[in-house]
Amino acid sequence: MASSQHVLLSPAELAYLHASLSLTPPIRPDGRSPTQFRPLVAETGILPGTNGSARICFADGTEAIVGVKAEVERTAQRPGEETVFLEEGGAGDDEEEEGEAVDKRKGDASWVEMTVEIPGLRDDDSGTAFLSAMLSEALLADGEFAKRLWINRRFHWKLYLDIILISPPLSYPLPLLSLTTHLALLSTRLPRLKSEGDEDPFFDDDWAAAPYLYPRTPTSVAKPTATTTTTRPPITLLVMAVGNNIIFDPSKEELAVADVALAVSVTSTASSHHIDTDTGHPAAEAGRNLRLLSIRTIDPPSRLTPPAVANAANAAYGASNGAALGTQKMLEARTAETEAVEGVWRAPRGGAKRMVLGALVQKVLERGGVVDEVLDALEGVDLG
Amino acid sequence: MTDRRRINGPAGATVPPIFDDAGLQDLTSSKGRSRAPNAIRKMYLKTGVTPSASGSAYLEIETSATPGVSGLKLSCSVHGPRSLPRSAPFSPHIVLSTHVKYAPFATKQRRGYLRDPSERDLGIHLEAALRGAIIADRWPKSGVDIIISIVEGDQDREASRLQGDEVWDMMNALSGCITVAAAALADAGIDCVDTVAGGVAALVQNAGEDSTPTIVVDPIPSEHERILAACCVAYLPTRDEVTNLWFRGDLPASDLDLYTSLVEKGIQASKNANRVLVGCLSETVE
Repeated sequence: MASSQHVLLSPAELAYLHASLSLTPPIRPDGRSPTQFRPLVAETGILPGTNGSARICFADGTEAIVGVKAEVERTAQRPGEETVFLEEGGAGDDEEEEGEAVDKRKGDASWVEMTVEIPGLRDDDSGTAFLSAMLSEALLADGEFAKRLWINRRFHWKLYLDIILISPPLSYPLPLLSLTTHLALLSTRLPRLKSEGDEDPFFDDDWAAAPYLYPRTPTSVAKPTATTTTTRPPITLLVMAVGNNIIFDPSKEELAVADVALAVSVTSTASSHHIDTDTGHPAAEAGRNLRLLSIRTIDPPSRLTPPAVANAANAAYGASNGAALGTQKMLEARTAETEAVEGVWRAPRGGAKRMVLGALVQKVLERGGVVDEVLDALEGVDLG
Repeated sequence: MTDRRRINGPAGATVPPIFDDAGLQDLTSSKGRSRAPNAIRKMYLKTGVTPSASGSAYLEIETSATPGVSGLKLSCSVHGPRSLPRSAPFSPHIVLSTHVKYAPFATKQRRGYLRDPSERDLGIHLEAALRGAIIADRWPKSGVDIIISIVEGDQDREASRLQGDEVWDMMNALSGCITVAAAALADAGIDCVDTVAGGVAALVQNAGEDSTPTIVVDPIPSEHERILAACCVAYLPTRDEVTNLWFRGDLPASDLDLYTSLVEKGIQASKNANRVLVGCLSETVE
């Protein structure tokens, strides 16, 4: 798995790193603040042969490209649903007009296919499968995305998202892949449909008229040329906790001392169309309407790090060996195994307290927090 | 990658036949959740079923469609701890490898012989859940294989339509996998900090009333109109710690209480499953 690659740090270095990350405020090896992302370079529309594409390069040298390609596919008719025959086309149309308010579009999870390729890993590696499952899960979680691919009752778009990490994985690539996918989906355009109803689909060959998959609205006064997208693809953030600190976008070394690591997917939507009408924040028109889509625990690689030996248990420092151990010494050795000694690295055991997990999620979803910052930054990318 | 060693049928060319029996349709439409919102289904757990493995366990969970018939059948075997092969690099901890496989006939849609991405994904979730429970530094330079085969998936065969996607079934399967693997690990005598058990809770919208969504534990997708969100939790009761958390759904970020209570209910379901697990293990000891 990509998250558990071996980090070449000694137990003493790990203990030092863990101690400095547990300080208030934490001191990170690269001098970032706990909520700061690594600087990145992003561009979209780099691949002419795709419906949408993006490239992101992090300052540490990791780089990913994503290409989105779409194909028209026939929707499998299942018995039990309203089976459509071509002859009924005319009759079906007026029925559709009266029920315009009802959203007839249906989506299916199999309409999106996501592949992740990471150099140095086999294509059937479990870590890669985990990454792609996590990214596609966030995309499909609200059921709204697949509806965008609906053409008519007989046809739909099949969307292929191919994510390629160009550089070797210098850190756990999840945030990078997620942000690149986000940009690629924002820049994705599908040809404009010319046919009507349940006919065989027929498209406009003018690429300039092709609408975006995520429709945009022009921002009003400041810059009439600039556009914003209110509903946006999900982003997945990697958060970890060390001691009492919550750290965003950890590098590989920081992840190696994490107590717990979470991947949290959020999205921002235009309207509060679901359950939150009663809580409806008045500030919703000013801020974003964030929605929580998925959370997964990442198995932190800290569990695989080599443990250090405390002086009390080290024969070189006068600890007697097994044969001479009395019961008193045995007890001491037991204590040495279970209790943390200051400055002696020990791989974390057990899970995470639920308070810690709750605090991590709360920190991510905070109004005006990191998610807003990241989405604002991504909005600045020219979508070509 | 395709399976080149066996002759498989064409992939996904047909839709499985559905016998549209009118009486059966009535039966399925009237069906709803009959349990209390915080009651999990009945569970049967037994350890030591595979003599050749160093530890093994078998789990059955009752189905909803016809009472008394099991819906989920899991068999887990643990091989090891055994020494790593000479070619493997040094490891200061036990090397855990988890392998979850649906039997080809376990679900409505036939599964192939090779593990598909969703099965690999389940394996990773299971690994994360167990790695927190095992005291890994007591076995340096050794490995353990945990193999789970899902003999029967928890799917309602009478429902004529597919339930959208199978992810909610996957959560139920994962919670069963965690519980059965913990039993098998204990049977193999591998030191753990605690017995870990899985639990699922979901925020559901029921068909009849259009009331506010409610939270239920151990949900069955076919019993509810819509599942808005669900989470699967692996929980260590004596340490009060969560080793694996998998949440999926669509919740407003402004309403974190909903999320918190969902996780709390998941933990409660996991505690219930743990009671069965501890009962089974203490029965074996006697």
